[in-house]
Amino acid sequence: MDASHGAGGFGPAHGAAVLEVGPLSGRPGIRARGEISEVTRPPWEAALAGLAREHADVSYVELSEVGFVDVAGVAALAVTALGLPRGRMVVEHPPPQVPRVLGLFWPGLGRIEVAP
Amino acid sequence: MTNTVATHEAFEHPALFYRDEQEYVDRTVSFVQEGLDLGEPVAVAVPGPNLELIRDGLGADAQAVHLLDMTVAGRNPGRIIPAVLRAFADAHEPGRVRIIGEPVWAGRSAVEYPACAQHEALINAAFEGRAATILCPYDETGLDEEVLADARSTHPTVLAGGTERISDAYDWRAVVARYNEALVPAPDAAVFSFGVDELYAVRAFAVEEAGRLGLTGRRLDDAELAVAELTTNSVVHGAGRGTLAVWAAGEQVVCEVRDAGRLSDPLAGRRPPARGQIGGRGLMLVHYVADLVRLHTGDEGTTVRFYLGR
Repeated sequence: MDASHGAGGFGPAHGAAVLEVGPLSGRPGIRARGEISEVTRPPWEAALAGLAREHADVSYVELSEVGFVDVAGVAALAVTALGLPRGRMVVEHPPPQVPRVLGLFWPGLGRIEVAP
Repeated sequence: MTNTVATHEAFEHPALFYRDEQEYVDRTVSFVQEGLDLGEPVAVAVPGPNLELIRDGLGADAQAVHLLDMTVAGRNPGRIIPAVLRAFADAHEPGRVRIIGEPVWAGRSAVEYPACAQHEALINAAFEGRAATILCPYDETGLDEEVLADARSTHPTVLAGGTERISDAYDWRAVVARYNEALVPAPDAAVFSFGVDELYAVRAFAVEEAGRLGLTGRRLDDAELAVAELTTNSVVHGAGRGTLAVWAAGEQVVCEVRDAGRLSDPLAGRRPPARGQIGGRGLMLVHYVADLVRLHTGDEGTTVRFYLGR
């Protein structure tokens, strides 16, 4: 699960949809690597469910090594943020699909902050 | 004009046939002002020049009305129900809303028109039982008789020359069926067949081809997203596989996904899911980002074709 132990051999460069998700070190939240699509949705949604369980005030979702997120993947992010009892979710360095889909279907959703 | 008070609970969907600018302004402005007098939220989504006529006619009242240029907000007719009409109505639930929607204008292309007619027909299904009045103006002198005949089939009532009459031709399902036209494959397209193991590869192929044909920036990103949603739908709902075709047509790039599935819900892609629902936005995304979406479905399968300007 820990992306820091990811040894390569996966991801878009290899022509397959693979996702690794793990906890961030030193702050609350998760980081992901690979792509978030139909094939990789179960680990993505499981990681977001874990984030929601452990959420206190601010949770981070680090996506700088994610090449693509489909609409349901962004929806899972938005729905997780909507369900947080307080605080907010900060999505860091997402691929362009994340702000695009949030803007189309969840404009003005204050519980998500996108940090480009 | 429309008998709003007596049928307060019903959905009303009159077509307005107008012959000149003065008649257009008189009818639309009185429709808006009647709504404002009743305390109803009012939206106007019509082509830019007509929007200016209504804005001028309303004067200071225009500030109380949500005004949209339909050539932008509704350039793709399939976007209008979720992004314009339902968006406005849902934001004001449970109150009654009043909307002017003009999705058909002289200058709509022959490729666009079937999607326009189907959109007008599907409004009746999308708003059944909703507290809303949607008035759809039609330029009686600028549009073909076939278009006006379709408007009589897609609207339960027609307002012409100051009189509103029940339309004997009203049959929206027939219009949806008639414009469910087969989409002939383009001979010069780049083609890629895919199954679940090729979802990444088919998306990469689409980006490469659409980029080679001139899409850049956000339009290329939108093509990638839309292809991802359609190919995923084929794998999940369309017998597990499908075929992507990409080609250029005039100033647009066209992407098309064919599969063996049948789309049984005529409102698929136009019915906004609950805000907290994860699934159900794939085809809607395509409608939101594309300049035009054409769709054909039948026993032999489903084809969805979307157009993006270069």
